Amino acid sequence: MIGIGDTTTAALHAALSGLAQRQRVSSDNIANVNTPGFLAGRTDFESNLRSELSSGDTPVVGGGSVHRSLAATRTDGNNVDLDSETVIATETGLRYQLALQALNGKYDLLSAAMRTQ
Amino acid sequence: MSAFDALRIAGSGMTLHRKFLDAVSDNVANINTAAAPDQEAFKERFIVAQANDYGSGTGGVRVAGAAFGSGEGKLVYSPDNPLADDEGYVRLPDIDLGTQMTNMLIAQRGYQANISAISRATDAYQAALSLGKNL
Repeated sequence: MIGIGDTTTAALHAALSGLAQRQRVSSDNIANVNTPGFLAGRTDFESNLRSELSSGDTPVVGGGSVHRSLAATRTDGNNVDLDSETVIATETGLRYQLALQALNGKYDLLSAAMRTQ
Repeated sequence: MSAFDALRIAGSGMTLHRKFLDAVSDNVANINTAAAPDQEAFKERFIVAQANDYGSGTGGVRVAGAAFGSGEGKLVYSPDNPLADDEGYVRLPDIDLGTQMTNMLIAQRGYQANISAISRATDAYQAALSLGKNL
């Protein structure tokens, strides 16, 4: 059954919100690349989303959590690694676009169903 | 959290690194600024970076203040200098050009990294704005 607010839409919405949060955190890490004592933030929304989907609940939007990376620090107490931040930011951007395309496909389907001839 | 937060955060990183660059160029510009021996030499300036509300979510970075190097400098024999004392010495800042050039590179690369963060965030927001456009 296709509904306007069904699980697929909710899951994609939750994914978009989590990915946007990850991009924001990555942006924060890059902005603080030279801040002494700054520990890089890491976002996790996948584990929440996975458990919600596997238990059959409607995913909650904005269920991501941020924790500080425990990777080794530089001498100034900062552990932002520009290489991995770049990879994370690029990958997050692509996954964001992927989720958007899936959502667009969903809406295309809905609009086709609503069209009369 | 406001709309287009990733842009604001990366923008704060650009501001910080630009100010870092400003401080470095000020130090280099004054590398030969002489003072009379009984006065303080030009003090090199450093930017103090601080994360905005670290861990609580607003994100970004700001300039928390400036730190200054020593005003002691070094005494240089330069009898032609109008600021020289009776023995012909002036006080020059003890700024290491190598350190300044390294800091300049750090500031420049940090600035560039924030620019790429902005362009990636723009791509994502651009895509989000086209959601449902062709229905």
